[in-house]
Amino acid sequence: MPDLVRMSSIPRHAFFGYWQKVTLILLGVTMACFYWADTEIIALEPWSELQRIALGFLSPDFLATEYLLEAVWQTISFALLGVAAGLLLGAPVALFYNKPLVAAACAFIRSIHELFWALLFLQVFGLSPLTGVLAIALPYGATFARVFSDILQQAPVYTLQNLPANTDKVSRYIYGRFAHVMNEIKAYVRYRFECALRSSAILGFVGMPTLGFYLESAFRQGHYHQGAALLILFIIMIGSIPYWCRAKLLPLYFIAAVWLLPDITTIDGSLVWRFLSDDILPPMFQSHSIDLLFNDKWRLFAQWLYDIVTEQALPGILATVLLAVAALGFSYLLALLMTTFSFKPLTGAFITRLNNFILLILRSIPEYILAYIFMLLLGPSMLPAIIALAIHNGALVAYLTARQSSTTTFSQHFNGKIDGYAYDILPRIYPNMMALLFYRFEVILRETAILGMLGVATLGFYIDSNFSEIRFNGALVLIGATALLNILIDIASRKLLVNGSLSHKPC
Amino acid sequence: MFAIKPLISMFVLLFAPSLLAATFTFTAIPDEDESQLRTRFDKVAVYLEEKLGVEVKYVPVKSYSAAVTAFRNNQVQLAWFGGLSGVQARRLVPGSDAIAQGYEDQFFKSYFIAHHSTEIIADDSFPNLNGYTFTFGSKDSTSGRLMPQFFIERNLGKRPEDIFKRIGFSGDHSRTIAQVQAGVYQVGAVNYKVWESALAAGKIDLNKVDVIWTTPTYPDYQWTVRAGVDETFGEGFKARVEAALLGMTDTDLLKSFPRKSFVPAENQDYEPIENVAKTIGLID
Repeated sequence: MPDLVRMSSIPRHAFFGYWQKVTLILLGVTMACFYWADTEIIALEPWSELQRIALGFLSPDFLATEYLLEAVWQTISFALLGVAAGLLLGAPVALFYNKPLVAAACAFIRSIHELFWALLFLQVFGLSPLTGVLAIALPYGATFARVFSDILQQAPVYTLQNLPANTDKVSRYIYGRFAHVMNEIKAYVRYRFECALRSSAILGFVGMPTLGFYLESAFRQGHYHQGAALLILFIIMIGSIPYWCRAKLLPLYFIAAVWLLPDITTIDGSLVWRFLSDDILPPMFQSHSIDLLFNDKWRLFAQWLYDIVTEQALPGILATVLLAVAALGFSYLLALLMTTFSFKPLTGAFITRLNNFILLILRSIPEYILAYIFMLLLGPSMLPAIIALAIHNGALVAYLTARQSSTTTFSQHFNGKIDGYAYDILPRIYPNMMALLFYRFEVILRETAILGMLGVATLGFYIDSNFSEIRFNGALVLIGATALLNILIDIASRKLLVNGSLSHKPC
Repeated sequence: MFAIKPLISMFVLLFAPSLLAATFTFTAIPDEDESQLRTRFDKVAVYLEEKLGVEVKYVPVKSYSAAVTAFRNNQVQLAWFGGLSGVQARRLVPGSDAIAQGYEDQFFKSYFIAHHSTEIIADDSFPNLNGYTFTFGSKDSTSGRLMPQFFIERNLGKRPEDIFKRIGFSGDHSRTIAQVQAGVYQVGAVNYKVWESALAAGKIDLNKVDVIWTTPTYPDYQWTVRAGVDETFGEGFKARVEAALLGMTDTDLLKSFPRKSFVPAENQDYEPIENVAKTIGLID
């Protein structure tokens, strides 16, 4: 990180360095967004409902869910196949990621939430496992492409320079670059598998036969004993990944995943064609639309588009950005706090272990459920959504930072106190934490979609409305708006974060 | 260039429409209690199999729009729809027919419920809801969204966004009750059957939340069978499906829906729903 070192080592800026500036700007923007966001707290009587939720967690009912083992297995299986297919798609694309068009296409694919991919694929593949696997594979593939390309760029070049001149391209690539970063890529794929388990569960929300199918129904309908059991099971599943997800067992799992996949219904070509040639066209261009003069069609189209943009896209974008930025700022505060707690030499073994356990729970509970609990406590403003996103993502960033900084060497003079931590340790892990946080922004932006389904009028809210009104054309316009927003933010954050001075382990 | 034609035919073969689906598939989402869906409706499938003499399969779905999509794509040929989703489905697949509805669905209604702090008193005339916060059920629900919104607009003469301080979509009737009871929203609209069962189950504290207005009755849930089942499963199949549904008397099966019994229905019964949906702009 040459830029970084240079910047923070200029003496007269020593106190007010690069990271201080970035942090202050982040906090300033957060405050502004928080101010403009709707954060009204409404006095309530949530206790009887909260009591029911608490009782559910005190006596979880593991037998209330039908076909439970099947749901657990399908959650794993969709995640596994999704990641595998994502690797097949993403790894080759990583080599061309420096082409702006490729990068933009990947940003476009990534910007659409797995749930919306699933809703789109549902229209053409129906409730087939293909829908679920593709809904994970596509956005994950696009993420792999970007991350692998970032990691590869950081690979040292000395081996490459020392290879004999007549070495062929493939060998040069494999031995010169890939070999250097193989471990890092493996670690990243392992981390993405955990994410994929979460995604896979969430796909249950739209009908895939994973844990989320039952989890969502149980919480939505107030069957908290059942919901708590499912949530506990899910957290155990995530927490125990290192025990059951061994490299040697993977081929076995993989064969089982393919073997036990639910029946793939025959793909009906006419459905695909109908979706592409008719469903997604604006109403006035659809085959069953009333015959209009050509000019009228275009006038109606302009009106239709104008209505969607002004009534849904623009308010949606505003709410999405306010919510996401406010959540980013609070994620930062939480991540900072929890990273500190998980630094063993400072807080001791017990607190570290407790903190790691809390991090596991917080990052595994779907934001959707957190938001509902906070909504009962605080009322239906944006606040519950902000807090839910902040908790989930703050915990994730803290977990990743802690994992990566556990190997950071600190000076012999570290005094084991908070000032030592602040002046010695934190500056070493800070850039990494900030990098993780900013990469996470993209995810936060995408996750506002789920909270939209809870009633916060983000872009996701309007997309969901369009899907439920069976207006795929409107949904597509809004998905396009989401993607555009994401690409703009992607470009902006890349410019802001001085060419790669921010490190290389995104999430 | 010469490879294109074989490629196209390969594509067509690969994606060929499924040959005659030998299995008659249906879906259903009950308006309350979605737990144990497969266990409950597999029993209905067994019943239908006996009556119809073909293989019958139940497919669980998560939402009305998913049910409509599955119906449209011929992944299910029979569905237990809500009023609105049935209208949507029949518009998308012309020739499909509503063949039976629940006994209760002939005169279905929604309750408007309010938190005690609003001090709105139950009355026959429509309450003045200006300035309150309000939650519907799920966006595509007939009893939690469509009809309540229609009656709000008709009685107050304005769009909901011009009446309420805040509008929510709780996603579920049970959740509407929980939220209004907790005061998260001041007023809400809920399926009357869900309210009554929650009341019977002791989940409602009438000191905190109570019914303030009841909508006039309207038709709701119905069985809709897809166009073309007679061609696929044999002449007279549709009539046999209808007979099987109307002849369902086993209370164990009926309570999955949950309905007292099924009575005949036809598409015309749902014209009011279609008109209402057009009025408030949910369908074009």
